[in-house]
Parts: sequence; C-alpha cells; structure tokens
Amino acid sequence: MTTTALPISDPATLPPAKSPISWIRDNLFNGIANSSVTVVIVFLMAWLIYSVGSWAFINSVWASPTAEACQSATGACWSVINARARIILFGLYPFEEHWRSALACVAVVVVVFLSCIPALWTVFRLSIVWLLGAAIFYALMHGGVFGLMVVPTDRWGGLSLTLYIFVSVCLIGMPTSIVLALARQSRLPAIRKLAALLIDFVRSLPLLAILFAAALIIPFALPEWLQGDKLGRVIVAFSLFFACYQAENIRAGIQIIPSGQGEAAKALGLNYWQLTSRIILPQAFRNSLPPMINQFVMTFKDTSIITIVGFFDVLASAQAAFGVAEWAPYYIEVYVFVGFIYFVFIFSLSRYGAYLEKRMRVDHE
Amino acid sequence: MNNETAAISLSKVNKWYGEFHVLKDIDLSVSKGEKIVVCGPSGSGKSTMIRCINRLEEHQRGTIAVFGTELDDNVKNIDDIRREVGMVFQHFNLFPHMTVLENCTLAPMLVRKLSEAEATKIAMRVLEKVCIPDQALKYPGQLSGGQQQRVAIARSLCMNPAVMLFDEPTSALDPEMISEVLDVMVSLAEEGMTMICVTHEMGFARKVADRVIFMDRGEIIEQAPPLEFFENPQNDRTKLFLSQILAH
Repeated sequence: MTTTALPISDPATLPPAKSPISWIRDNLFNGIANSSVTVVIVFLMAWLIYSVGSWAFINSVWASPTAEACQSATGACWSVINARARIILFGLYPFEEHWRSALACVAVVVVVFLSCIPALWTVFRLSIVWLLGAAIFYALMHGGVFGLMVVPTDRWGGLSLTLYIFVSVCLIGMPTSIVLALARQSRLPAIRKLAALLIDFVRSLPLLAILFAAALIIPFALPEWLQGDKLGRVIVAFSLFFACYQAENIRAGIQIIPSGQGEAAKALGLNYWQLTSRIILPQAFRNSLPPMINQFVMTFKDTSIITIVGFFDVLASAQAAFGVAEWAPYYIEVYVFVGFIYFVFIFSLSRYGAYLEKRMRVDHE
Repeated sequence: MNNETAAISLSKVNKWYGEFHVLKDIDLSVSKGEKIVVCGPSGSGKSTMIRCINRLEEHQRGTIAVFGTELDDNVKNIDDIRREVGMVFQHFNLFPHMTVLENCTLAPMLVRKLSEAEATKIAMRVLEKVCIPDQALKYPGQLSGGQQQRVAIARSLCMNPAVMLFDEPTSALDPEMISEVLDVMVSLAEEGMTMICVTHEMGFARKVADRVIFMDRGEIIEQAPPLEFFENPQNDRTKLFLSQILAH
C-alpha cells in the first residue's frame, strides 16, 4: 500500500453507486416483515387509486346542466360544480356583477404575488402595491365609482370574501404583530407590560368569541362614527388575534439573536430604528419563518369561522350551493371542489415558505 | 495631561451589577495615539471598563469623556462618541445576514450618511488593508474565525474611528489564526491609532503597548510601560498573575 494521497476524483475514493434494483431490495424488501408490509401497502394504494379514480373520472358526469343525468351515474357528479360554481365563488354577490368580484379576486392574487417578490420588499414599494391593490379591490367590490353599482359588504361572499378577509388580516396584522413584538421587548416597563397584557388577553380568548364580540357587542359600546361596518370590525378583530400570535412567533425569533448583534450595531453608532430594521428584524424573520408561515396557513383556514357572524365565505357559499333539492345529494363533490381551492392556496403558501427558507439558508452558508 | 488633550479620560468611575461592585474608582487617561493593553484575571472588570467607554455598559458614578465629550444620559453625546469609537469583540459579532461588504458599508451609509459608492470604495480599501478583499461578497459564515475577526476590524475602521477598543479579540480563535489578527492590530498601532486592548497576548503587549494596565477585582492595580511591567512588577497580585500566564 502506498502512502500517496489519492485525488478526490478517483472513483476508488467515492462511495459505490447503487442500482435502482438494489435500492428497492435494500429499502422495500429486506426481510419477510418489510416485504409483506410493502406488498400490503402496494395493494391498498392500487385499490385506493382505482376506486377514487373510477368515482372521480371514469364513472363521473361532467357537463350536464341538470341533476337528472347524475341520478343514474355511479361516479361523481361534477355537473354540480358547473351549475353552482358561481354561488361557490361569489356567494350572495349580485349575479350580473359577478365579473367585478372575479376581477377583485384577480387583484388580490396579483397583490399577494407582488408582495412575495423580494425585489419589492421596501416600505415604499410595498405600500404602493398594497394601497393600489386595496383601492382597486374596493372600487370593484363595493362600487359607487366609475358608474359601478354599490354592493354593500353584507352581500360580499364566496372566494372573493375569503381572499379579502385573509389578505386584509395579513396586511393589517403583520405590521401590528411587529409593533407588538417590539413593544413586548421594550426597555420601558409600561409599554412592555401593556403589550404582554394585550397579547395574553387576546390569546386567552377563542377566535370565535372575539369575532362575535366585534360583530355584535362592539356596536353597543362604540359611538356610531367609530363603528364602521360589520365586515370592517370583524377584520380588525381578526387582525388583532392574528397579530398577537404572530408577535409571539417574531419575539421567539428575536430572543435567539445573540446579544452581541445589538452590541456591535450600537458600537457602530446605529440608532434604535436602524438597529431594529437592519439587524434585529431581518434575523428574527429568518429565525421564525416556519412558525410564521404556519400562522398564515392557519389564518387562511380560520377565515371560514366568519360564517357564524353572518358572512358567506367560500365554505358557507359551498353549503348554499348544494342547499337546493336538485343538487342536495352531491355535497361530496362540492366539498372536494372547495377543498381543492383551499389546497391550491395553502399549498402555494407553503411552497413559497419553502422557497424563502432556501433563499435565506443560501445567505447564511 | 489635561482633559483637552486626552482622547479618553475616566475619573473615579464606579459601577455595580446589583450588589456587586465591578468597577472601583477607575482613573485612566489615554492620550491621542497611545496604545494601552489591559490585562487581569477573568472577572476583574477589564471588559466592563472598556464597554463603559462607548456606553454598552452604563457607569453609575464618576465621569467618562471621549475627546472632551462627556458620557451622560444625553443621547446625542452617546451617538457622537460611538461614531468616534470603534469596537472589536471576542465573538466578532458580524451580521450573519449580510455579506462582508454589506457589513462594512452599513454603518458608514446609515450613520455617516455616505453614498453607497463612497462607502463601498472605503470598505474595499479597508478590506485590502486587512488582506481579505477577495472575500467581500461572501457571508461571514463562510469565513474562518481569523478572517471573520479581520472583517470585524475592517467594519469598525470603515467608520474612520479616532479610537479603537478591542475586547479580547483573539480569545475565541484557533491558535493558528491568532497571528493574522494580531498582525492587523500591530499595523493599525503603527499607523498611530489610539487603542485600548483587553488581551492576554503578552507578546503583542510587549511589541506595541505604550502602557500595560493590570486590573483585579474592579481596580487598576498597576500600570507601567511594558518593559517595566513585565520585568519588574511592583504589586504581589501582578506578580502572581504574570507568573500564572507566563509560566506555560
């Protein structure tokens, strides 16, 4: 054996490559127990794929305008989606004005998409995007400008209402959560304790109770000019709830930043705001990205709770869609469709979260 | 030496952590261009003392002045002093989410209000001086400890400080990286920078210090030029300390 070091690229120094067959043998069929588990699971999966596939695709009815064709079919009745899609997507919104609600949805999606682009992450650019987006959305949904008919918020519904509530809660809640997180770390005891009290108070109440109070009890307590409309109050209350949870996520991210970071920044002469915005918050966001994304996902799903104060979000509208005798048997199809809508949004959200995490990890290495 | 010519002057500075008296009547005057090495056993208050000079710690009694500006509760004075006083830490404390270059240009742009182009020019010149211009676009996590500490020195120098404070700059480094950091500090000293270094690198002290200060239990026990300090220490505690650190 010679003692000269082998070059790194020498095949003899690399681990042996595995063929696919040996991979399968090693991972799926190593021993009787594992082999039988593999076989059972393969059969179960095949059966599941077959039965779901034949229900959803092979035996299904796709494009019949009435429910009659579905009665003889053994598979899914997707016609219900076709016939009732407008109710699911737009709820109680006036039928002839549905195009406005659709455009408003597009506006929301565009705003969210733009907000996710790192190149636009300056206070100025984001404020422009958000203000413009909010103005366009409101003009379209509410009307009263450019000759559009006024549609009061209690007739808003469906997917556009769900998106509107989610995006508003995030846009109001995120800045609030940052303020709360910073206040909770403040050197001034009064501010620190007040923030802690507020967070603990709001967290100790169920979202349901908070929304209920905002919709029905607050009007008795506030003068009329401060009440706003019901939807506005519900969104503000929901945002506060969101902000209190998100503030704790951010605080966790702040607390694990070594104290030397702040000291170095202070020694360089940075003031509190420069230190907070350039050193503390960017690192805090990095640190708490997974729980923050989690909070967004939960908030998206929690929007369905607004039904209890009388709003028709996408889930409530879906229930209305099969609420007529003709389509009543086909609620599973409707729920699958709504589930698919939720999935598209939430899956995009988590993929975006994964992208952000990767982007930030690259920075660190 | 009076207060007008002193770069830094501490007089009768006292500080307590709760009941614990960390600094006891510290008197110290550092003139412009002077290099001071502070040594002493751990817990003796060396770091606390230099951290009081740029108000990372607050002293409770006595006065501290930097170029005639007194450190009090006036935020403007604190800002003025921090702008003139650079500091290098034991654990580098580089900003991990910024590149080396961004670490160096951040404060000049935010605090000195330089344009990005000017700040970059200065940063590249300083990085050249600490011999790592080729690492400018890397992140601190990609560098070795010695390189990180040299970036930390460069980051401070970009603010063009009049005084540099070093808080055990080589204590967290692997042995083979200590000299590359000390070399940078020596060349800085040769350029006439006013420096206060808390360090146990006695070779460095002999080479560049104008004065070596020995602290123990919150007091300055002894101060003398290096030759005198090492060859002929007066106080028993100094002798004990020197015998402990020079023995190995």
